Amino acid sequence: MPGRQLIMTFPVTGTSHSLVEYRARGGYVALDKALRQMKPTDITKEVTASGLQGRGGAAFSMGRKWQVIVPDDGQPHYLIANADEGEPGTFKDRWILENNPHMLLESMLIASYALGVRNCFVYIRGEFDLPYRRLAGAVEEAYAAGYFGERILGTEFSCDIVVYRGAGAYVAGEASGLLASLEGKKSYPRNRPPRLTVKGLYQRPTVVNNVESLSNIAWIIAHGAAAFKEVGTPKSPGTRLFSVSGHVNRPGVFEVELGYPWMKFLEEDCGGIRNGRALKCVVPGGVSSKVLTATDIKDLHLSHEALWDAGSTLGSGGMIVIAEGTCMVTLLQVMLRFYHHESCGQCTPCRHGTGWMHRILDRIVAGQGRPEDIERLYYISKFNDGTTICGLGDAAGYACTGILDKYRDEFEYYIEHKRSRHDGNLECLRSS
Amino acid sequence: MPEIFINGQAIQARDDQTVLQVALANGIFVPYFCWHPQLSIAGNCRMCLVEVEGRGLDIACNMPVNAGMKVFTDSDDVKAHRKAILQFITLNHPVDCGICDKAGECTLQDYHYQYNGEASLSRDEKVHSTKFYNLSNRILLDNERCILCLRCTRFTHEVSKSMALGVERRGDVSNIRPVEDRPLGEDPYSDNIIDLCPVGALLSRQFLHKARVWYLKPTPSVCPGCERGCTIQIWHRKPEWKLKALDPAQNTSIARITPLENPAVNGPWICNKGRDLARIFERRRADQAMLKGQPVELSVAIDHARRLIGAARHPAALVSTWGSNEELETFKARLGEVFHCFVKRDGQPEEGERIEDDLLIRADKNPNTAKARELFHDSGEPTFHDGTDLVLVWGEGFDFAKLPRGAQVIFLNSYLQPENGHADVFLPISIQTERSGHYTNFQGTVSAFEACFAKNDTVVDAEALFVALAAPARGHP
Repeated sequence: MPGRQLIMTFPVTGTSHSLVEYRARGGYVALDKALRQMKPTDITKEVTASGLQGRGGAAFSMGRKWQVIVPDDGQPHYLIANADEGEPGTFKDRWILENNPHMLLESMLIASYALGVRNCFVYIRGEFDLPYRRLAGAVEEAYAAGYFGERILGTEFSCDIVVYRGAGAYVAGEASGLLASLEGKKSYPRNRPPRLTVKGLYQRPTVVNNVESLSNIAWIIAHGAAAFKEVGTPKSPGTRLFSVSGHVNRPGVFEVELGYPWMKFLEEDCGGIRNGRALKCVVPGGVSSKVLTATDIKDLHLSHEALWDAGSTLGSGGMIVIAEGTCMVTLLQVMLRFYHHESCGQCTPCRHGTGWMHRILDRIVAGQGRPEDIERLYYISKFNDGTTICGLGDAAGYACTGILDKYRDEFEYYIEHKRSRHDGNLECLRSS
Repeated sequence: MPEIFINGQAIQARDDQTVLQVALANGIFVPYFCWHPQLSIAGNCRMCLVEVEGRGLDIACNMPVNAGMKVFTDSDDVKAHRKAILQFITLNHPVDCGICDKAGECTLQDYHYQYNGEASLSRDEKVHSTKFYNLSNRILLDNERCILCLRCTRFTHEVSKSMALGVERRGDVSNIRPVEDRPLGEDPYSDNIIDLCPVGALLSRQFLHKARVWYLKPTPSVCPGCERGCTIQIWHRKPEWKLKALDPAQNTSIARITPLENPAVNGPWICNKGRDLARIFERRRADQAMLKGQPVELSVAIDHARRLIGAARHPAALVSTWGSNEELETFKARLGEVFHCFVKRDGQPEEGERIEDDLLIRADKNPNTAKARELFHDSGEPTFHDGTDLVLVWGEGFDFAKLPRGAQVIFLNSYLQPENGHADVFLPISIQTERSGHYTNFQGTVSAFEACFAKNDTVVDAEALFVALAAPARGHP
């Protein structure tokens, strides 16, 4: 067990997601406490004091985002749980939606109360089938139990929820793209300013939070910010769900207390590298974060500050473990194919840059690489950085330069010899 | 009034302005594709990236003004990024300027020379897409040339409100496409997207491969299609590039019509009818004076008309609402006392034509009704006195069956029509593209038009004709 746990606190069974069992675990007590004993601003203060950071990728302070909203300024506010979990390698929110949906709903009710929200939304990706059914079932249960609707628990607070299914665009997971999609438009991200907390959904102040970030709220309100700060490190309080995939013996979703030693986590909890191979590198938090080599992570702890110091980020918690002998050129090709496919096509650098990079990689893999290709990839990455509306273009560039910086020799080898230095597979089938 | 600094120059800005607007208003040019003063901010072309001290690069079109901010529009970083943006835009653009109608007035072409000037860094095959896609019976779309600035979709959503265009698919294979059940062909303002398009993606079918724009010259004019009186530019062959072979009629024909931006009347838009003025002006022309259908010299016909006017006891006149201010005033001054005058509405809506809306189109399909009504009696339908023995009909749109019995007719017209031969005197007059003048629109705004072509010698300008008709009859009674 990698440290203390706040979310994955119970054994998953066929009924552990139900309201009855959630209540038996102490569910909806925090909601009762919030509605009866706390003012909306107290909740925001508590969340700010907890130091909770967003779990969707940017690790921005939740409290600071919430503070922008004035709960009683007379206009409608909206709260959206971002369940459009699309970052490759990331499937942690899915665990919450499937196995603990009431934790999300309770947290959303508390958040709605804190932010003066009458209508909140869950934007769930269309490919999520079981998560959607579990969540929709939970919403039904919660309505029947009087947790949603008019005058919740006999208080003045009323709130309704809508679960909206996306149609499968990665970029709809970007908060402003998500809002556009929710409004029924093409999910083009929007230029800032104005920020979404000023003008978001239907031009009203809107908070968009990741499912995992929101799910922590119930725990924080039930146990207090001080108790939350005791978990994790001073700069990264709490736990994180990591979805581990790739060349490990025991892939899956793990809740890890922040500050836990990384190698220990991989060796003990994830069962070590598959087929007894050595570790080559890790994509720490979804493909948009820069890869870290085995040497980079040897003494690292899993915390935001440690990863930032190492030049990467915990991102969305989608950890992809890559064993020695894996072809990085093929890996980058797969990543760039993804970005090319998912670029929304709104702004110029990303629309053309992602395709350009993808075509270069395709050519290298086909044995038609040219010596200038590596410089060209750097050029495209450079001019995608900070020039686009959302982060997709930047992320494609980071993924590319992250691998190029550390494995340039493999690319040079591939271009020169027209074949991979390794077997060119990504599967890690044999022992070496 | 916050003060900001652009390239070190202190500028007073307004709070509601963006940095791009401030820069353009003060003569500092920042290149842009997607931004348009009349459309919402899309911020997708990224061409207007500027540097703000302490904040790095961001797009000027969406940047609010902050007092004291220091903006640089020409730093090395900005220049490098502009260059890169043009590399990205031209990556999949076919660069087929040689066969593109937009060449010569293409923003991408201009910017490429000014801000990039380098060949493409890519040698890979470009992304291909549809060419000559039929958007409507007026507009073709070349998706390969499209840079997805979305001006056209924003126009149909925000200005013409036809919602006819959208974007299909995503990434570098996204395409502008018509929206189901929202035919662009039914949008009477659709052709504005051709002008809006910064590249040659949206093409006018009328103008397709008709002329290179540098051989053409725009003459300022006024659309006579309705009483809005939108200012337009009539594009026609430059006299110095006159065609010596081929069909000489091409030298005096209208190549295309575009709006002439005019905040007081039409902003930067006109409707499709205004683009189709060739259909009005290039009908078969009447250029032969006639007496009861028999061809005569123009001067003979004028003399005859003058004698008829002199002899008439109760002459009436139907004044044209297509006459310019000058012509109407001359008629009033010279012949207003002689005739009992009525205002005649020359133009009537055609079948299927939009009658009226709240953007530009007005129900009265004549350019100068306002001036005619100011000068003459407007009773709607003319009511002729008993004993009316002469009617002067100026222009089209009058049903000759409504003439009083026994009255003689002087008919002034520009086009070949059956009525011409029925008139006692027929006088061919020049059209708007052959003379200069002014129209007064329904709001009282006066706009000028200029002559594009010389008139035929056998045709007379109405203004000169009225002066001649008012002169005392010569010689015999």
